[in-house]
Amino acid sequence: MKEVKLFLGPQHPGMHGNYSVHMYVDGDIIKKAYPLPGMLHRGFEKLMERRLWMGNIALIPRICVVEPDINEMVYAMGIEKLGNIEVPERAHWIRMIILELARIAIHLMSFGGIGGPTGLYTASYWSIADRDLILDIFEKITGARVYHMYIVAGGVRKDLPEGIEEEIIGLLDYLEKRLPEYEELILKNPIIHARLKDNILLPEEVVWELGVTGIGMRSAVDKEYDIRKVKPYARYDQVEFDVPFGPYSDAYTRVSYKPIEIRQSIRIIRQSLEKMPKEGPVRVKISTGSALRWTVPAGMVYPVIESARGEYGYLMVSDGSEMPYRIAVRGASYPQGLLGVEKYLPGHRIDDASLWMDTMGVCAPEIDR
Amino acid sequence: MNSMNSIYENLKSKFNILGVDYPDDMQMAIDLDEKDIHTVIVYLKSIGYTQLSMLTCVDWIKEGVFQLVYIVFNWDNGIHILVRTKLDRENPKFRTIVEIYPGAQFYERDVHEFFGVEFEGNEISYKNLFLELWDDMPPMRKDFDPQKYSDEKYAAREYKSKFISEVGGEK
Repeated sequence: MKEVKLFLGPQHPGMHGNYSVHMYVDGDIIKKAYPLPGMLHRGFEKLMERRLWMGNIALIPRICVVEPDINEMVYAMGIEKLGNIEVPERAHWIRMIILELARIAIHLMSFGGIGGPTGLYTASYWSIADRDLILDIFEKITGARVYHMYIVAGGVRKDLPEGIEEEIIGLLDYLEKRLPEYEELILKNPIIHARLKDNILLPEEVVWELGVTGIGMRSAVDKEYDIRKVKPYARYDQVEFDVPFGPYSDAYTRVSYKPIEIRQSIRIIRQSLEKMPKEGPVRVKISTGSALRWTVPAGMVYPVIESARGEYGYLMVSDGSEMPYRIAVRGASYPQGLLGVEKYLPGHRIDDASLWMDTMGVCAPEIDR
Repeated sequence: MNSMNSIYENLKSKFNILGVDYPDDMQMAIDLDEKDIHTVIVYLKSIGYTQLSMLTCVDWIKEGVFQLVYIVFNWDNGIHILVRTKLDRENPKFRTIVEIYPGAQFYERDVHEFFGVEFEGNEISYKNLFLELWDDMPPMRKDFDPQKYSDEKYAAREYKSKFISEVGGEK
């Protein structure tokens, strides 16, 4: 048979972000696949070395476009660890609320990603519309819709506005009502069953070989491997929540975990609103002297949190000056997005390639940095 | 912390560890000689550190070394170990760990591209990944100056109007 070279991306509706895969196909079966990242390479790691610790706060949310808050959290955790800064109690809980709202937002966004390649456009329209309601809340809290720059070293930028608790609870009530409709629309839909069931498998050996984390890992290894459980940060050790896990990972299982995770995030936010101190400081000043040109003590630390796609961390090195010495980003989709595409995308059909990208959780901007 | 100490004692009894540091509650950083890296990583993998979270490099230009940092993670006890070693900056060469952690392949390619460290045994790491048609020194090295590169590579652009003064700002 004759092989044809086919370019999937960077301008392809099924591709997430400006990412490209060169595929050699025989009929509609992929024979070879080569990832081609770099179209979103903006040189963040180099840029960060040339900006003040404070100035980087405006830069880092851009590393992962769809889920920016994790970057702010990791960066803040790193500085706090290096500088030995104690964050006020209320700030921890506010951070958790923000992070979990962001997790709901990205899971809703990924329903949209499922909608495109399967032709189930209703899912895209609904989920993007509901995500906007979360962005409205973010706008009220932080002043920005997508890139919040809200979680800063030493706490959060400012306290929650008055009356936002009721609005958040109202939104959670609405989402809880909406979730059965999503399950009806997506998980019980014959199109989804035909396309996703027993397709795009991820066995346990492959998880360990590549280093996949997050939903992909938990659905394959049948263990509660979630950073929030294994090494809790903020106040995750003081709230009750469950993490879905199982022994068999196909595309359908991985999608079906997302509504479960959304429910658990809702649970965490409700508990946080209840348990958080009702007043108190939300930020400690770390500047000594000038407001912006503060320094961070020398050292090397690897702060890590659980993003919607898995383990997300920065290796942060400081030499004691006003700027970071080196920051290296461990994007959660690095293993599956590069080696995973090259080794395990072949064998699938062309129309499953976009589904592969979506259900494995490949986020191009955090690979390119 | 006790478990960390016992891990350290265990490693110390078996290998020649040059230095140790505890950056975080559940983190340990150990410094090794470059010839010990592979044996220590194989040993760590065999005792449960089954995931390579990251491999990256730090350029310590004043000391004239590149520091490779291998971060391995044990999901059962939640401990990250940062295995570090230093390479000569003039001739940075090391051996691959792809046989131990296959996931290292693209991290090595990344480090080669941005720092110029060569990994023997990983042929694919010599190909560029992110930077197409790059023609200068590896850009994450500290002596690479982006401003100079940009000035040499691209024509300067002249702005005909001054935006700030137009909107009534700085005069």
